[in-house]
Amino acid sequence: MILVGELSLWVALVMAAWTTTVSFSGARLRRSDLIASGERGIYTTFALVLLASIGLWTALLTHDFSFKFVASTTSRNMPAVYVFAAFWGGQAGSLLFWALILTFYSAVAVYLHRHRSRDMMPWVTGTLALVQLFFLLTTCLGANPYARLDFIPLDGTGLNPQLQNPGMAIHPPNLYLGYVATTIPFAFAIGALFTRRLDNEWLAAVRRWALVSWFFLTVGITLGMWWAYVELGWGGYWAWDPVENASFLPWLTGTAFLHSIMIQEKRGMLRKWNVVLVVATFLLAILGTFITRSGVIESVHSFAQSPVGNWFAGFLVLSIALTSYLVTTRLRDLEAPVTLESMLSREAAFLYNNLVLCGIAFSVLWGTLFPILSEWVRGDKITVGPPFFNAVNIPLGLLLLGLTGVGPLIAWRRASTANLKRQFAAPATAGVSVGVVLLALGMRDPYALVSYTLAGFVTGTIIQEFAKGTSARRAIHGESLSVALVRLVGRNRRRYGGYIVHLGIVVLFSAFAGLAFKREHDVTLRPGDAFETKDPWGHKWRFVSQGVSRYETLNRDVTAIALDTWRDGKRLGLLTTEQRQYRDSRGMPTFNPSTEVGILTSAKQDVYVVLAGVTGDETAELRINFNPLVVWVWIGGGIMAIGGLIVMWPVAERRKPSSGYRAVLSPAAEVEV
Amino acid sequence: MRDPKLDTTSRRAFLVRTAALGVALLARASGAQETGARSVQTPAGTSTNPLESGSNLFPMDQAAALSVKRPPKPGAHEKLSAADRDAVEHQIRCQCGCTLDVYTCRTTDFACEVSPAMHRDIMALVEGGYDAQEIIDAFKATYGERALMAPTREGFNLVGWAMPFTALAVGGAVVAMLVRRWSRRAASVRAAGGGSLPPAIRVNATADEMARLDAAVRRDKR
Repeated sequence: MILVGELSLWVALVMAAWTTTVSFSGARLRRSDLIASGERGIYTTFALVLLASIGLWTALLTHDFSFKFVASTTSRNMPAVYVFAAFWGGQAGSLLFWALILTFYSAVAVYLHRHRSRDMMPWVTGTLALVQLFFLLTTCLGANPYARLDFIPLDGTGLNPQLQNPGMAIHPPNLYLGYVATTIPFAFAIGALFTRRLDNEWLAAVRRWALVSWFFLTVGITLGMWWAYVELGWGGYWAWDPVENASFLPWLTGTAFLHSIMIQEKRGMLRKWNVVLVVATFLLAILGTFITRSGVIESVHSFAQSPVGNWFAGFLVLSIALTSYLVTTRLRDLEAPVTLESMLSREAAFLYNNLVLCGIAFSVLWGTLFPILSEWVRGDKITVGPPFFNAVNIPLGLLLLGLTGVGPLIAWRRASTANLKRQFAAPATAGVSVGVVLLALGMRDPYALVSYTLAGFVTGTIIQEFAKGTSARRAIHGESLSVALVRLVGRNRRRYGGYIVHLGIVVLFSAFAGLAFKREHDVTLRPGDAFETKDPWGHKWRFVSQGVSRYETLNRDVTAIALDTWRDGKRLGLLTTEQRQYRDSRGMPTFNPSTEVGILTSAKQDVYVVLAGVTGDETAELRINFNPLVVWVWIGGGIMAIGGLIVMWPVAERRKPSSGYRAVLSPAAEVEV
Repeated sequence: MRDPKLDTTSRRAFLVRTAALGVALLARASGAQETGARSVQTPAGTSTNPLESGSNLFPMDQAAALSVKRPPKPGAHEKLSAADRDAVEHQIRCQCGCTLDVYTCRTTDFACEVSPAMHRDIMALVEGGYDAQEIIDAFKATYGERALMAPTREGFNLVGWAMPFTALAVGGAVVAMLVRRWSRRAASVRAAGGGSLPPAIRVNATADEMARLDAAVRRDKR
């Protein structure tokens, strides 16, 4: 099976080259046989890459250490689940994994759209095959997971301990699923540009794929934050690391696209802008991969300096050149008779929303790349860390939060003063009330105050929208509250799913604002020593050291300390934090020691304890953090994902109304759009 | 006219031949790449470890700490509290490659030898009577600006700080210009009697047909 997999990878490369050639040739020459061959090529490439992947999984799970990738990412004593997940734990395997997802998505997209957009599809197929060709070339020639060693070691070095975490097993696949899904809208955009069919047809095809990408990026980023929080031990979940930024950038432009697409659908506006956003989202996903894999920017996550980075740089430059050429030569086809009746309209609000989202994307990209620019201009390396990103992005984020509430309340075309008063009265009152109450309770942090005031306002808008819709259903259909609510969402998934996503955003911002009240304590405890303090909520805490214990388990040596934990005089139990030294099957230490954080989670805050060191026999150096509202970050991410699922869930086609309506009309009459 | 069967067969044959040739060529290229990888030498002349982990976490540079020493000020007394000192450590970056600040790194990863060394230097400077800015300046003098968690607001760095807001302002101006242009166009459409119907939509049906269509849509909604 391994040999079959290895050969399949090479044949897949040839097949991708074939598919690219015949698809573009077929589109250009209008030859249906070549076009059909291209479609079959897409399916075959997927089958071949699947075989290559199964081969690599077989090599991993059978511990075939003759392969460099297997020997450098696994060891015999690693739990099977992490041996399976090691597939995407290293450079070469993750590239093959990327190719697997890409070929799968491509096959699904070609299958679903095979009977639609006949003149555009060959260009789409060709573009998809071209991207596949690039990834397969990079996998085969840049970082081949089937590269062999001169010798066969008895055991492998194993996976970095910090990657041996459930979050790491599931977070990269989600991010890859999100990154790779940006390719499908990109391919449709290129197809539309080639065929100059830049009306709403290509948008209808890509909207669902853009949602798939957004959904997986949302889940992936949230899981990534969770992994960083529970595994890295620095007490936060977002450090504006270049690799984190790389995942955030396509999410921002993808979110902007999902909003601006509505304006094109409803009003025929922003045709150029939508093409630019789709292309930019794909290019940012590639740029992110370049950043991660080139080592060009210092990052805690980066793969070591690797020639693969040059491949991505070249592909990025070529992609930018090609798409720039296509867009500039088709600007006239993208012209539309745009009108905007008022600056106070929903379409205008979406424009402002796009401006802020793209402003944040630009500032994140700028901050990520500025160290390179600075080194180039001044020859001095600088760091652009959280102080820069927070200073720039927090105000923009709050502006965006405000717009999240404003957009859905304003009418399309033109909002009258009466409409504004009616729609904004209750939510604005809710927001101001929250702000006043928090101010009266002693909250003085300006960003937190603004954040919670806006959160109150946006929550008010969401509740108001649900309340109006539900009461209308109850009045018309006589349904109970729960039935009316479920049917309201079910019958208008796009709108109310979107509101649920907005609710998730509100929860996230509220949780982010909570970190303004974080408290950190640097503590040294001998056995029996106690540390007493107050948390940001005013609760009294007492931590009593139970001493340091050392033991061996599975594939690691563990040094642990247990703290007997009390809050307001009530015992909560033992809170344990560990240092781990992983060993291979011969008992030799692998990697540096790593920390395992002790976390006590509640709705109010996380008590976060890190064993920073042990001096002497049993004196433990600890960092004890009180991190307010952290659990709401994961809940907010979950709510956003649920909202995204509701929006993209396919609607069952119970009947084909268009044919019914058409029958009503005389044969000559038709609706032109 | 081409015989489709013949056409398919020849394409298949071509595919097989191309695939075989491609596999042979690429396998050779891959072999060359592997051989190249094996012969890589470090500057010291020792071979690189062929089993070096391929996982994506940074390689820690334990030798990155430089000495930041200053003589104690005459009659020195500590100007900074422990909380002030921690705040200074939050502004200075650990140089091990972790991208964290000194305080966070030293209280997180006890495998790191760099942040504790930097912490000791900071402690010595605090005991020597130096204030927060002087400590930060001392680290900047030794390591350069990479010792700081964010660029200083001077010189070329001002471009870095100003650019996001400048870009947003330019974007805002472009949006304002577009909105004004589109609003004027809407006004002229209204003045020409176009009402508020979007110009892109035109229905080619009689009033009677539209009424029947409307009734059908309403029936369907029910």
